Amino acid sequence: MKRLIASLLLLLFPLALGLAEVPVRSEQLIWTMLAWNGRDYSPAFAPESSDTIYILAGGDNFLSARKTLVYWWPLTSEWKTDTDSLNVQFPGSLELRDARGSLKRMPLQEYTYFNVKGEYELNWNVVTGEAARQELEKYARLYESYFKAVQDYQGKNAAYDAEMQALLVRIQKLRDEKKDTAALLERMQGLQKPVAPEAPSFYVVPPAEMQQAFILNLSPGSYSIRLVNPDGTVMEGSEKTVVVHERLRSGGVGFEVIPSDKWTRPEASVTPSSVLYVNGSADLYLRPFFEDEFNDLAYEKTINNAARGNPNIAKWVRIQQVPHAAIEVQRPGAAKSLLAESPFYVEQSKGSSLGYTIVPFDAQGAHKGKEPNLIAFRVPVDTNARAISFHALDSKGEKLPGSERQIRVVGKAPSAALLIVLALFPLLLMAALLIIRMRAYSTGSIDKS
Amino acid sequence: MKRRLRAALVIARRQAFETALAPGLYVTLALGLLLGFFLVSGFAASVDSAGFNPTLNPLYDMLGRSLAGAFGSAFVGKLFAEGPFLFALVVSFLPVFLFLSISSVFRFGQEKTAGAVELLAYGPADGTSYIVASFLKDVAFTAASLALITAFLGAAAALGNLVLGPLFLASLPVLFALALAVFAYGILCSVLSTNASSALATFLGILLVFLLVLAGSLSMASASVRTVASVAAAVLQWISPFFYASLCLKAVQGASAGGVLGGIGLLLVLAVALLAAAHLAISRRGVRA
Repeated sequence: MKRLIASLLLLLFPLALGLAEVPVRSEQLIWTMLAWNGRDYSPAFAPESSDTIYILAGGDNFLSARKTLVYWWPLTSEWKTDTDSLNVQFPGSLELRDARGSLKRMPLQEYTYFNVKGEYELNWNVVTGEAARQELEKYARLYESYFKAVQDYQGKNAAYDAEMQALLVRIQKLRDEKKDTAALLERMQGLQKPVAPEAPSFYVVPPAEMQQAFILNLSPGSYSIRLVNPDGTVMEGSEKTVVVHERLRSGGVGFEVIPSDKWTRPEASVTPSSVLYVNGSADLYLRPFFEDEFNDLAYEKTINNAARGNPNIAKWVRIQQVPHAAIEVQRPGAAKSLLAESPFYVEQSKGSSLGYTIVPFDAQGAHKGKEPNLIAFRVPVDTNARAISFHALDSKGEKLPGSERQIRVVGKAPSAALLIVLALFPLLLMAALLIIRMRAYSTGSIDKS
Repeated sequence: MKRRLRAALVIARRQAFETALAPGLYVTLALGLLLGFFLVSGFAASVDSAGFNPTLNPLYDMLGRSLAGAFGSAFVGKLFAEGPFLFALVVSFLPVFLFLSISSVFRFGQEKTAGAVELLAYGPADGTSYIVASFLKDVAFTAASLALITAFLGAAAALGNLVLGPLFLASLPVLFALALAVFAYGILCSVLSTNASSALATFLGILLVFLLVLAGSLSMASASVRTVASVAAAVLQWISPFFYASLCLKAVQGASAGGVLGGIGLLLVLAVALLAAAHLAISRRGVRA
């Protein structure tokens, strides 16, 4: 019976593959963007159906027109490109027209992008023209010298292994002949094993091979663009409106809030007047960051052209962690205390209880040879701590304006019975008034007519 | 002028007394406070170790999804950044605000039809006195209702270790000024309409149009819907009290005290302009239905 079921499943398996829904790919002329988002670069694309491209002022944006396949991916509810199957970049120049009608032609320029590890976060960099070429050469030299060092190491290691082997054979032979091996043993112990060279760690993501794009660094406003072919004709369907928006405010301070029991679900406090309401069941780890304010719709469309956003709402966006900050904490009835930034390590909980535990990073002990997962400020919170006020200080110890926040520990339901009675107070008042009126009528102090 | 004001105060006192004796005000106030209670306790139940998490409470889960779907997650984030009280204030005030505005419009229409206003005009009062009286009565009840709602929400905040927040406090005068402008619209509708039903229908229609235009321009609708809404808004926003109220709230978020005061000032100017229009209309048309 089991064999029969297994055979049936084997027969049906190819059918299941055949019935699997394959996204419909359509060939489209799209504009791809490496868009400056205020802190680094976001890859985005504008399909044929989108008539507007949003980019941010004050940074280089890299645009290119290409023919590729576009499909809807229902699992993440987003449009994607299939550049593996078709990816043809069009040559030519970009014609840019501003709101006053001034026309500008821009040629394709070479660029590359790479990522280097920063103190707190990754840093994307984009370099163009000669600088891009130099970056690629630097990367090539770095790896050339690394591979040379590896080759050298392999040679030395082979020589070391061979010498060790030879010494072992000779020692064994002398032992068999019952002769003194002390000199050979001393020589063997004195041999230094070659150390393997470390792989270059400067680049987290190495420079990509040389790309070509039209580089737009525009002032805020509305523009129109189109692609002009090398023969001077205009590429049909390449016309788009480019909306260049700018940050509305900058220099705000937000906080990333990581509860010790939900390491994977950090929250953010971005609005300066916001209050951190917690239930007090876990300590909080805070990371202050600088933030800028952008128009919600324009920003969302900058990082993903198919995204939705509200054109009438401004939103704060994290730019970078405040370097070498400190946090001053004030608890009711206690003196102010200064919290220092500390490294922490996230350990998976042992035993049946799943989850993670955040522990202080022990560089010399348990976490030797590892990197801390988190550099943050630990704020102990419990249900007795009703309100904790804090603000961030910069590396010079000066208070960062707009960083004032409050942590409030709330209970499940705030005195429900009492609040319901208070809510029904107007009805009680009405009843009292009606009773007074009825009594007044019955005693005749109010004329019933 | 002085005599007209005195007459208006007497009529307003009489109208306020009648409103205070009817159950409508108390029922709508209690309903508003109960809604506020549910919102505050729902918020408290939606807080976990990481902060406010709407999915923990069915009411907030539904509210969060609906609001985020219509206006975007950035809007929801801002709305609840300081706690539940800004939203609770609006929701709690809505029943009593609707009651006061609708009952005033309906009452004006009815009294006009019944000849009560005409009867008053034979005495020391005139149509304008009646308009001012109706407005003053609504102003007084709105101020009292907002004070009561604030006291209730303040008590809820104190009991639940929550804070009302600066946005809440800044929204109070904005809401008050918004209510004044809406009441002025109600009075103008009552003056221009022939009977209570048409006055009410006109008033509700105007409110609905203003609200739809505001919601359309604030929402995350498709670009085409947004374009239609923004064209409509470009025409109508200058006479819409909701537009000036939204300007005030934007100014609050932008920490611009001048913007807030300017917006409130514009709401008051709009209210005065509408009352002046109602005064002119009633002076020309008379108080007879």
